[in-house]
Amino acid sequence: MMSAPRRPRRRKSRNPLAARDQSLLDLVDNVLSKGVVVSGELMLGLADVDLVYLRLSALLCAADRVSPAARAWRARRAVVTPRRAVITR
Amino acid sequence: MTFLYLYALLGVVPPRGRWRGLDGEPLRFVRVAGLVLAAGPMSRAPAPKLSTLRRHDAVVRRLAGAVPAVLPARFGTLVTDGAALRELIAPRAAALRRALAQVAGREQMTLRLYGSAPRGGGVEAAAPLPSGPGTRYLTARSAATLRALPDLARLRGTLAGLVRAERIEPSQTPPLLGSVYHLVDRDQRRAYQRALRSVTCQLADLRVVPSGPWTPYAFAPEPGG
Repeated sequence: MMSAPRRPRRRKSRNPLAARDQSLLDLVDNVLSKGVVVSGELMLGLADVDLVYLRLSALLCAADRVSPAARAWRARRAVVTPRRAVITR
Repeated sequence: MTFLYLYALLGVVPPRGRWRGLDGEPLRFVRVAGLVLAAGPMSRAPAPKLSTLRRHDAVVRRLAGAVPAVLPARFGTLVTDGAALRELIAPRAAALRRALAQVAGREQMTLRLYGSAPRGGGVEAAAPLPSGPGTRYLTARSAATLRALPDLARLRGTLAGLVRAERIEPSQTPPLLGSVYHLVDRDQRRAYQRALRSVTCQLADLRVVPSGPWTPYAFAPEPGG
């Protein structure tokens, strides 16, 4: 018995960042750059943490531009709905 | 030498239980001027790695599930001992108590805004780390530019009745234009998500990526506040 040809799966999300990447961005943003800051000479390590946050956030935001999924998403959106293409680069 | 690593500020001591920190260390609850500080003994600050960030967040989330109000501490806060912690917190206790009252029974929802930079380039003008008065001015101006986007105005108008507090933070890394942090009553989460879905599909130029609920990291008072 032959099975019906499989339909290609449709992408459920239009988000160019995978949910995992997005969640990582949120985790980094929240834990490293938000929250109560207890300032004082007794606090250790904050300068290092700020530097790590800067590097990570720049990297994560750039993921939207470099990932193949993001490029494919942008190409599709640009063809299908020109109005939406305004938000793509 | 053993230090104290700070996780969060609470309004009350959580119910008895096996409270552990990110390295499995037993948590201590230090009382200061009507606040309870959740901290764990550590020999050095945890390395800022993804695994430790996740474990820090997990400890804070567990605390948030046990008490009505939690203000998370920023990652990497290490002090010499309980007395030092009291000295650092006591002068700001009133502001911290007000912030704690604001987040009681509420949680944070985060919206990442993607799109083209608004004309005038204000969003790019802010420096990476808000610190001095000049930087704060530029950040405020960038936030005002972002707020003026018609799509964002529509989004904020739809959600206004469900939002108890809001923070708008511009980004310097396009296509991420900025982030909006909303403080929402825990029992209004579904209503907020429904309203958000209803409005995001109508936006023309702005793409919104929501996440949450989070413990209210973005609603801690600013340093010096």
